[in-house]
Amino acid sequence: MLGFLTARQAGVDDPLRLRRAESTRRVLSLNRGQIHVNYSRKLQYTCKAVCTVGRSSRYVHKFSVETVQWYPYDTGMFVSSSFDKTMKVWDTETLKPAEVFEFEGNVYSHHLSPIARKHSLIAVGTTDPKIQLCDLKSGSRIHVLQGHRAEILSVRWSPRYDHILATASADSKVKVWDVRRASGSLFTLDQHNGDKSKASSEAVNTAHNGRVNGLCFTGDGLYLLTTGTDDRMRLWNSATGENTLVNYGKVCNESRKRLQFTVSRGCSPEFVFVPCGSSVAVYALHTGELVTMLRGHYNNVDCCEFHPDYQELYTGGKDCNILAWVPAPRAPDVEEESKSANQAAADQSSVNPAFQDAWSSDED
Amino acid sequence: MNRKRALISDAFKVKRFRNETQKFGAVSKGDGPTDIRSTLETLMTLFPRKLFNDSLPQIVMKHQLYSIHNDKTLVDKELNKLREQGELLMFQLGFDADAFGLVFASDYKAKVLAGEDGRATRATVETFLEKLLSPCTELSFSKDKMLKEFRFTDSEITQLVKSGVLTVRDAGSWWLSIPNSGKFTKYFIQGRKAVLNMVKKSKYSEVLKTELEERRTTSHVKFQMKYHIHDIVGAELVESIPTTSGTLLRFVDS
Repeated sequence: MLGFLTARQAGVDDPLRLRRAESTRRVLSLNRGQIHVNYSRKLQYTCKAVCTVGRSSRYVHKFSVETVQWYPYDTGMFVSSSFDKTMKVWDTETLKPAEVFEFEGNVYSHHLSPIARKHSLIAVGTTDPKIQLCDLKSGSRIHVLQGHRAEILSVRWSPRYDHILATASADSKVKVWDVRRASGSLFTLDQHNGDKSKASSEAVNTAHNGRVNGLCFTGDGLYLLTTGTDDRMRLWNSATGENTLVNYGKVCNESRKRLQFTVSRGCSPEFVFVPCGSSVAVYALHTGELVTMLRGHYNNVDCCEFHPDYQELYTGGKDCNILAWVPAPRAPDVEEESKSANQAAADQSSVNPAFQDAWSSDED
Repeated sequence: MNRKRALISDAFKVKRFRNETQKFGAVSKGDGPTDIRSTLETLMTLFPRKLFNDSLPQIVMKHQLYSIHNDKTLVDKELNKLREQGELLMFQLGFDADAFGLVFASDYKAKVLAGEDGRATRATVETFLEKLLSPCTELSFSKDKMLKEFRFTDSEITQLVKSGVLTVRDAGSWWLSIPNSGKFTKYFIQGRKAVLNMVKKSKYSEVLKTELEERRTTSHVKFQMKYHIHDIVGAELVESIPTTSGTLLRFVDS
């Protein structure tokens, strides 16, 4: 099940934030390939889907939807790509696809640049080692980036420069491209920083010792995080491609497809939220220590996304739930702990008097 | 009617003051710049020297330090500093891409030279060690480097491989290695497997750390239990969970 969450203050014209959640193929479900749009106003909510592109729709994807993304400037449009080898650009009002791009292989990931003004390119990663750039305005495929040797598992545009694109592939390499240049990639990330003596000679110039299946830029675009099936997560300087050697320990990674994780924005210190089985692991970005595990889902967590304005984390999982994690304000004296009904509690316990238990302690 | 017996504290209204959040189980030590070195030395004492008839220097694995100190990046940085100062040497032991062995440079030099006593290859090994420990941050050497920088001839390289200081990595490059460390690797892997099986076979695949330390070891486990426990905790082969009765080690099924 795929879900979007938009939290918007009623009456205030905040720009609508983009949310992206990944769908998965649910074994028992009937919701394969569906897309739901959820909308919520209040802080505590179990929100209902506002609109759905369900199985009854003629245009629904035939297999699991892998990536969805709102159009960066408004919610009038969103783009979804799926294992049925197509990428569809939808009109939110009518819920019909305005444009369909077809590919030869399963589409693992696509991304629209969040800051681009001069171009409206969608980078698409498929089972083909060539990265396709599709133009939203003209509807054609205008550019192909060659350089990888295996399927492309994840693509991300930099949030700092609108021409920088990072791609991760199953051949253990991560390449950073400048799409304005005709020649190949700018650089390839090397986990040993050029020190060829550290590992065996096949591991030269690789970002991980396995498939690289997760990419995420930090909010300011200065650092890039990558995760690989060697159970490691690495932090890179995105300008030079240098491995900052922050050691996060073993970051469980069993995904055959893309692993969608996210970095917080606007708080200090920054955190990385990585789905790990049925919980979400929270690491401090620059020191690498595991801060906590967020438990609340009943089944595997597939995706997570951070909302910088409300400082909330949204996670979606195979148990068909999207949970919102809110940092609870810390009160001075904590005697009892309490959990709110719909939401899973975040790191600190909340002592909002509205939620405190008023039960007496003896059993009469 | 209140059938339940009241507590004295309730009767006299004695409030139990709660201190700041209590930390159960193991308490992590503070991290200071010299603490890594002292941790290394404590871990080195766990290494069984008699088992190898004193022919091997004391070896500690890098990930064993992670089980003692929380901040892995800091541990890595401190180790790199020690290596740059020429006090510590790191080796790629070969059975795992991430498992690195650490030996104090002085220890290594002493043991290697002692092992080479009376052998024809002693002179070459001595020159190699002189050039190497000045200080050395490399784990492997390519043929180019050996011929040009260190000015060794092919026959001298063969002698070094024979003496065990270099191990073949692939055509034209060699890992730096510890002579006679094959036995160490064998016993290490055997012992690690045996200890992991002990944890796995326990009820719910978990066991208290203190209980595990006191268990009788089978003949497969040649090293001290604590050495193996630091290894499996640091390599994250078991999850370390703080509980009210101490640290619990739970087998991680991957």
